[in-house]
Amino acid sequence: MNPIDPRIHQALDGEIARGNLPADLRRAVERLDAAAELLAAAAPAAGLESRVMAGIRRPLPSRARRLVRWLSTPQTVMVRIRPAWSLALAAAVTLLALVPLGDRWGGPMLGEHEGIAQFVGRFPGARSVHVVGSFNDWRTGTIALEGPDHDGVWRGALVLPAGTYEYMFVVDGERWIPDHLAEREVADNFGRENSIVIVRAVRR
Amino acid sequence: MRLVLLVPALLAAPLAAQSVRDRLEGRVPAEAIATIDSLVQVAAQDSLPTEPLVQKALEGGAKHVAAPRVVAAVQVGLTQLRDGRDLLVRAGDLPPVTPGEVTTVVWALRRGLPAAVVGRIVAALPRPPRAAAMHAVADLVAHRFDPDSGTALIIDAIHQGLREGRLLDVSTAAIQELQRGRTHAEALAVVRQELPNVPAAPRPTRAAVVRARRPPGQQPP
Repeated sequence: MNPIDPRIHQALDGEIARGNLPADLRRAVERLDAAAELLAAAAPAAGLESRVMAGIRRPLPSRARRLVRWLSTPQTVMVRIRPAWSLALAAAVTLLALVPLGDRWGGPMLGEHEGIAQFVGRFPGARSVHVVGSFNDWRTGTIALEGPDHDGVWRGALVLPAGTYEYMFVVDGERWIPDHLAEREVADNFGRENSIVIVRAVRR
Repeated sequence: MRLVLLVPALLAAPLAAQSVRDRLEGRVPAEAIATIDSLVQVAAQDSLPTEPLVQKALEGGAKHVAAPRVVAAVQVGLTQLRDGRDLLVRAGDLPPVTPGEVTTVVWALRRGLPAAVVGRIVAALPRPPRAAAMHAVADLVAHRFDPDSGTALIIDAIHQGLREGRLLDVSTAAIQELQRGRTHAEALAVVRQELPNVPAAPRPTRAAVVRARRPPGQQPP
């Protein structure tokens, strides 16, 4: 390392005239002056702390928190409505509300005064079970119950006009058996009891 | 003008008779059809409902009941219809009473309701429909509730504005109280205190609606 000639310090500090310096020292002083001007012109460097903090990326809040913030912050929503489409939408909603229950659920369409009669009977070992009654003119073999399940239970459901009906089960096409689960029964005037089902309108 | 009205009326009776015979043919013992048909015509001339008689005949045929017993059952049915109509008139209904109401009263009598009880219900519900009220009281009587007390409960419910199916909810609530171990009197008292807010019967499940089918031959409304 070359020590700086003390005369350069003295010239930079103005203690001696630069014209009195030898040519090589005068050029050295001029280069140092130019460097000092460049440094003075440059912007002051940021401090260490601010540079470190700037290098650390701030973590984003979670999606849920952002969603909650978005939902809880007042938003300006602009809706542009075409009256024709709005009326069509209203008509569709109204129609959906008025469509009978069964149709909406994929079953049969239920009228205003119709309901569901459900039949359940346990007949282990039976090959067939039909329900016969005043709702089908007592025709045997036309309304089969589904089954049996693993417990020997047979089931069926009918759409019927609201009202009162007498019925019996016919097992294996020959045995007439009243519904032991029925809440109501009445003498059939032939020496036996018919079961009674009261069908209430679903849309009540 | 009168002739125009009279001709269809004259034609309607034979056509109705023919349709009854058609319905019975092959399904009721042949030797019983003529008698049953005449009983049905008598009912029609008396402005009584005929369908219960036809149904009784069809039921007898389906159950392979002998012809004399089928005829006897239809004859009993005709008597019950007359009794029902007379009961309605005595209770205050002005003739001609509707076939539907006659059928309702016959249901009540067949289910064991005393005529006096039926009369009280008719008086409490001056205007039809009364079927649910009749069945509600009959349900209570079938579960050994005192007929008068049961009728009083249902009439209370009517006075509190309940009608039709909601009256069946009242009798169901009383029967459920009985099944919970209360005495008949306690059950009636509990339900009377709940009126008119007795629990409603559950609606059919979605699965039941989807599974349900119409009987063959029945047309959707």
